[in-house]
Amino acid sequence: MKQTFNKAALLTLMLLALALLANCLPQQSAERGGLNITLYGFSVMKESLEKAVYPAFAAKWKQEHGQDVGFASSFAGSETVTNQILQGVPAEIAILSIDRDAQRLKAGGFITSDWHATPYKGIVNKTPFVILVRAGNPKGIHDFPDLAKPGVEIIHPDPVSSGGAQWSILAIYGSELVKSEKQSGEPDTAHALQTLQAIWRNVKSTPGSAREARTQFETGFGDALITYELDGLLMKEAKKTPMEIVVPKATIFSEHPAVVIDKNVTQTKRAVVDAFLQYLWSEEAQKAFVKFHFYSVTNDALNQQHTEFGHIEMPFEISYFGGWDKAYPQVIEGIFRNRVQRK
Amino acid sequence: MRSVLGLRFPVLDMSSVIPTMRHVRGFDVARPLSIWMLIFMMMPLVFLPLASIFIFGTSSGLGNFWTALTAPAAVFALKLSMVTSFWATTFNVLFGLFAAYVLSRYNFLGRNALIVTISLPTAIPTAVAGFALLLLWGPYGTLGRFLRPQGIQVMFTAGAIVLANIFVTFPLAFGVIKPVFDTMSRSLEEASATIGATRWQTFWHVTLPSLRGAIVSGALLTFARAVGEFGSTILVSGNLAGRTQTAPLYIFAKFNEGQIEAANAIAIVLALFSFLIFSVLFFARDWLDVD
Repeated sequence: MKQTFNKAALLTLMLLALALLANCLPQQSAERGGLNITLYGFSVMKESLEKAVYPAFAAKWKQEHGQDVGFASSFAGSETVTNQILQGVPAEIAILSIDRDAQRLKAGGFITSDWHATPYKGIVNKTPFVILVRAGNPKGIHDFPDLAKPGVEIIHPDPVSSGGAQWSILAIYGSELVKSEKQSGEPDTAHALQTLQAIWRNVKSTPGSAREARTQFETGFGDALITYELDGLLMKEAKKTPMEIVVPKATIFSEHPAVVIDKNVTQTKRAVVDAFLQYLWSEEAQKAFVKFHFYSVTNDALNQQHTEFGHIEMPFEISYFGGWDKAYPQVIEGIFRNRVQRK
Repeated sequence: MRSVLGLRFPVLDMSSVIPTMRHVRGFDVARPLSIWMLIFMMMPLVFLPLASIFIFGTSSGLGNFWTALTAPAAVFALKLSMVTSFWATTFNVLFGLFAAYVLSRYNFLGRNALIVTISLPTAIPTAVAGFALLLLWGPYGTLGRFLRPQGIQVMFTAGAIVLANIFVTFPLAFGVIKPVFDTMSRSLEEASATIGATRWQTFWHVTLPSLRGAIVSGALLTFARAVGEFGSTILVSGNLAGRTQTAPLYIFAKFNEGQIEAANAIAIVLALFSFLIFSVLFFARDWLDVD
């Protein structure tokens, strides 16, 4: 009987220990008082925001209003982030890789304002698409068509979840169109399609986001990765993985919109959320973006001074395809999904 | 009945049936050979992958390991995992006890269907569990859309993580407790009743003590499984660092950012934690098995 009691005591003790553990319930930062902005962003935005933009804005707001501002954020592929917001995550601001995702949020009733009417059409920064290869460029990759060579293993994010993947497809396809147009005066769509098909045959892995793709490349897998130039430059800076950046002859500049998720912003937070969004176009924030190798959209002088940027012979933008309204159905769905992926 | 790792399986005790093994003269080669073969087979499958977590986690020095471990978001993620798993475990053990009692004591139409349903979450992909919860409780879900105007938001909170944990670990405690109920000798309970004990007294003083082992091992299993849950959590939690990011989500986020050391530091903690839990299950089996 005594034995049983000891055991019962031990059991109670274990339960008590667990209960104690449960008592140190993590404090929710939102409940600690003060202002908290929840931001969902596409994968490669993380570093510049967390290391520069958040702290600088918090300091500025504190100075001007005497209040502390905290940030909670989550980063994933742009399409993933958009789907999360559509499912109801408490995002107040979203920075997306592609304008199409902002349009999806508007269609879902989450955005009521018209970001296209703002001075920069909602675009906070931009960056061209480049190819990352291993040090010494052993596979001899100098432009997109070289990726189609047999034996080249490519890491390419998944266009289902990643906006960067969609930019990359537009970069390859558009690059061939732009080059052929320059040469013969007529864009060669058949050749562009062929190149995209051949490159896609070499894709060995499709991670969920551009940042995930970079990690995969860093762990030693694959010969080449098509990604945002800024992520390549950050990788070079980190010096962990010996690699080189190949700037294609013609490539696209991806443009990233920042939007307020009006549906989730309460009246009390409206001011700080709007202020933060505006802050993204301030000289200070734009300088921070350039420091993290994005191109500024407000001040071209900042871009001229940033010597790390590669030289692009024939840059083009989404307007080349007639905007996302045309690019998505025609290229991503019409060309990529129907004629490249389903082949 | 045999107990393996604290889990009770109704296995026939064959030791009395099988005649004593043919005596092997001299050195028994089969013994070291089979032991080494077992270890050799486990090497690439279990040992080396686990070892690489430890190697990578500590490769940049113990100082960095410690910094990674004590990062506020990491500490928060571990705490959140522990707390949400604790509540899911509490619920599932109580529920498992109740369900096992009802399903082994009473026979009724649909009883087998209930047993099968309880076991179902084992086979359902955890991602499906996640979006099933979203479809129900999400702000635009079947039930959630009515709760939203009332200001009740279940998804994307710690509560959602508990719900997901409950769903995926639903059958574990039940699965351990029910067989004990099934095989429990009713004579003690009957004796207790004949000397005038109420149903509640009989349950508290007679039935419950003999279930102690099953309850503890059920709880530990549930807890261990809940702490490691990923697939459903990533869908229902919102994955906000420092708010709704559990330890497995933190590991995934850090890995994706390329901060493999930081990811590994937490992975080491989780690996040691499960090691601890299963050691308790294994070494305390004598204590847990008192009949």
